[in-house]
Order: sequence, then structure tokens, then C-alpha cells
Amino acid sequence: MPGRSVSFYISLGVVFVYCAVALFAPAIAPFDPFAISGSPLAPPDAAHILGTNDLAQDIFSRLVWGTRATLILGFLGAAISVALGTFGGIVSGYYGGRVDEAIMRFLDVMMTIPSFPLLLILTIFFRPGIYMTAVLMGFLGGLQGVRIIRSQVLSLAVADFVVGTKALGAGDGYIMARHILPNVLPLVGVKFIFSAQHFMVVGIGLGFLGMGDPAVVDWGQMIQRATQNGGIILGLWWWLIPPGLAVTFLSLALAWFGYAFEDRINPRLQVMRV
Amino acid sequence: MTTEEPLLEVRGLTVGFPTVDGLVKAANTVDLEIRPGETLALLGETGSGKTVLGMAILRLLQPNTRIEGEILYRGRNLLSLSEGEMQKIRGREIAVVLQNTGTSLNPVLRVGDQIAEAVTLHRGLRGGDAEAAAVTLLDRVRIFDPARMAREYPHRFSGGMRERALIALALACEPSFLIADEPTRGLDAVTKREILDLFSEINPGRSVLFITHDIEAAATLAVRVAVMYAGEIVEIGPVDAVLSSPVHPYTRGLLASLPERGMRPIPGSSPSLITLPPGCRFSPRCTRAVGRCKKEHPELVEVGPDHDARCMYYD
Repeated sequence: MPGRSVSFYISLGVVFVYCAVALFAPAIAPFDPFAISGSPLAPPDAAHILGTNDLAQDIFSRLVWGTRATLILGFLGAAISVALGTFGGIVSGYYGGRVDEAIMRFLDVMMTIPSFPLLLILTIFFRPGIYMTAVLMGFLGGLQGVRIIRSQVLSLAVADFVVGTKALGAGDGYIMARHILPNVLPLVGVKFIFSAQHFMVVGIGLGFLGMGDPAVVDWGQMIQRATQNGGIILGLWWWLIPPGLAVTFLSLALAWFGYAFEDRINPRLQVMRV
Repeated sequence: MTTEEPLLEVRGLTVGFPTVDGLVKAANTVDLEIRPGETLALLGETGSGKTVLGMAILRLLQPNTRIEGEILYRGRNLLSLSEGEMQKIRGREIAVVLQNTGTSLNPVLRVGDQIAEAVTLHRGLRGGDAEAAAVTLLDRVRIFDPARMAREYPHRFSGGMRERALIALALACEPSFLIADEPTRGLDAVTKREILDLFSEINPGRSVLFITHDIEAAATLAVRVAVMYAGEIVEIGPVDAVLSSPVHPYTRGLLASLPERGMRPIPGSSPSLITLPPGCRFSPRCTRAVGRCKKEHPELVEVGPDHDARCMYYD
């Protein structure tokens, strides 16, 4: 299916560009994102291609540096979430019985608590920096992931090849790592991409609500500053719009990439969407 | 040969699976011995407890299964070993060729790597050595171009080739006892013949429990044959004696149902393993059953040299 393939490469390309910007932020950004670089609230010109904010900081530089924070939040959060979800799901589904029961009942309790408000409270409680926020998001997100992985592992755990591997004298740890894990990896990959997308948006939401790490620039805090200090009322579009567009494109690209990736690894979906 | 110590001895093995409908009595006081170097065929229809017996020997039944009795392997009771000790026996001492060839190989791992696994687990070979051993094993089970096929995934293998790969897997550590669970099931006549030939070729000196419902295959490979019905051994003895002059009505029925012997089916169907008939378990279907058969449960009694049957007529 060429159409799907094109979307796969375009979205991958967009994500790649974002990653490159984050990686080379110091080289790309013309100014220090925290420095006073001109007159405040200046519209775009040759030196400040996206103008300046109320503190006379260069918005383009802040946007570039903000990519870093957003990607770190998204990918680190997703990595933690997926690792936890995969580990928990495999253990729960493979052992079954009481282990499974204990993990599932714990999850039932956790899932009755709305996760975003819980995240807000935890964030205030721990006064976290960007890494702590990523860990908290990853932990809460991973709890949801456990169920998804577990449902796959339940059928894998009783598969003939697992019985066969036991019959070769392999232990449980070995079977989980070498036989169950590779079978759920495609699902884990898809989950990772969608989690990353989700956590980036959540991270920006936290920043917007004032829970961002004050030591780093992130898009959520940029939008918050713009809305609270008159960006909208004064019609200063260059202050508000760029971080909004940046997050929209990134989020779209990741979602698109996730769907295309899901198609690639699941032949049944390809047939269904012809 | 009868004076030799048996390699494996099953004594009074009773296996039950608790279900919502009641306890499924999959095996009932099974006594069986496998002598060094012999192939014992375990005959019986689907659901008669053949596979359960094989899996019980390897202790691979679900954890909630109720198992009673003893399984003595070289004098050690496998049922009282720890899981760790059992892992050292599985694959190295006792190996199994599972029955579902289509699903018994991990679809996301290369066949060679899966065979190398067995070698790595028990023989301590790693990397290239383990790979080379896997290729040698594939060659031994007559896979064409083993070096190339070792790098393929299971979906590239045909049914017969998968059967061979599973046999290679089981042979990886030269086990002294092999359980083969219906290795000829679902294969065409030519492939079946080849697999049977392969079995007689790879197993000199090895004890084999050959689980099958294929009487012809049993006759080809086995020295002795045990017939199972509804979780019990109803007849056991030398292959010639059992297949040429069967004693138990069920064995007779099985043989009479062969195409070349008239294809007369046994009336009725196997009993539910939850609510077994009183008395002889075959009595509801037995043409010779008398009143006593419905009340008393017969024991295995000697009916000839090394030949036992579970029938009132010989009590």
C-alpha cells in the first residue's frame, strides 16, 4: 500500500526533524533562551524571526530549546511507561493465578483515580524537575499499559512453543525474556509511540498549568506566559501561535507514525483498510 | 530384557483436572514401565489420556492439576523433585516431541536459534558453536540445506519439516528417554513414512514412549504397545501379541475399525471423564458386557507372557 507507506515516511521524517532540532538546539537557536535579547514584545524582524516576549527573550530560541524539554518528557515518559507496562504485563500474564490477581486488583484501584489530576497532585507534592515529571507520567501511564500487554501474554503463556521450551528445561525468567518478550515487542513499539505522543501533550498541559520545570524552557510554559501576560489580548500572534503549531505538528506526526507503524507490523490491519 | 531395571516406571498415576463441571479424571491408576532401549507405543483415541500421561512425566501439566502416584526415573520419583531439579532433567534426560507442529515453534525466532537454545541450556555451548550444533541436528533429521534453513523462521517450514525440526529440538541433548506425542498426525502418507523411518534411525538404544492413535505406526516402531481407554490402560503387551491376538474388547474393536479389517466402528462414544460409568469403563460400548461388567471395576491381569489386559473375562 503506497499511501500508507508515504505517510509512514513523511511522519517519520517530521519526527526526525524535531529530534534533530532538539539535539542541535544550541547551534540552531540564535540567542540564549533566557537572555534579554532586544526590546520586549517586538514583532518578528530579521534578528528575532519570531519576535520577543514580555521579558525581551527571543521567541524562536525559546521555541527551539522547548523542543528538547517536550521530547525528553515524551520519550523518557514513554520509555518508562512501556518498560513498566511490559514488565508488569508479562509477569502478570505469564504467572497468572495469585500474582496476576494481585497485580490486576492493584490496577483496578489505581484506575479509579483519574490520572491527570493525580499527576497534578504528585507533581506539586514532589516539586519535580523535568525528569521527575517524566518518571511520574511514565509510572502512571505504565499502569494502563500492563493490561494491554497482559492480554497478549495470557494467550502466549499457554502456547505450545512455551510448553515446548519448558520441556527443554528452560526456567520461567528465560522463557519470559526470550520467548514472550519478542512476541509482544511489536505491540510495545506501537504503545511506545502513542505514549510518547500522549506524554508530550500532557507535559505541555502541565507546563501550561504552571507545573513546568522553571529551569527549562518548554512550550507549555511559553503558552502559559503568552496567555497570562497579554499575548492574546494584545494580539501578539508570534508569541502564542508558534509553540501551539509546534506541538500540533509534532503530535500529529507521532500519531500518524503510530498508525502507519501499526499497519506495518499487523498484516491484518492492512487487509482491513484496503 | 524383562529382567532389566526399567528406565521409567509409572506407578498408580492418577491425574485430575478440577473444572467448574467437576473433576476431569484424565488418568486413573496408570501403571507402566519403559525398559531401556525399547519403544513403547501408547495407543488410544483422542481424550483417552495419552498426552496427559506424557506431560505428567515431564511435570508440564497446569499447576492446579491433581496428581497422585509415582513416576520413577532411574529410581528417582519425578513427582517429588523440585522445579529446579526437574529443569535439569527436561530436555537433557527426558525430551518430548510435541503434537502440534504448527504452533510448537516460536513464530518470531529463527528455527536454528530455537534448536541452539536447547544446546545452550544443557550443553553450555554458545554463539557459533551452538549454531553449528543446530545445523548438525537439522542435517541429522534430514532437512535439506540445513545451514540455510537454520536461518529461516518457522512459517517457511512445511508440516513435515516442522516435525523434523521438533525432533531435532528434542534430540539436541541426546536424551535417554524420548516422548513422541503423535509425531505422524496430520502428515501425508509419504511424509509419515519418512518420519517413521527417521524415528527408527535416530533412536537405537533410546527408550521412546510413542504416543499415537495410528496402529500401523505403532506396529512399525514399537516393541510393546499399551492401549488406553478413558484414562486407563486396558491392554499392554508385546506388539505382535496385542495386535495379532488382542484380548480386550476395546483393542479388538480398534483393530476391527481399521479399513483393511472391515472398518467396523465401535458403537457409542467415549464416556465423559467427569462422570465415568461404574464398573468397567468400556462396558457401555462392549458387545460382550455382562451384568458383572457394569458393577465391578476389573483389574489388569496377566493373559499371556508379558501381556496384561483389564477385562472380567480373564479375571
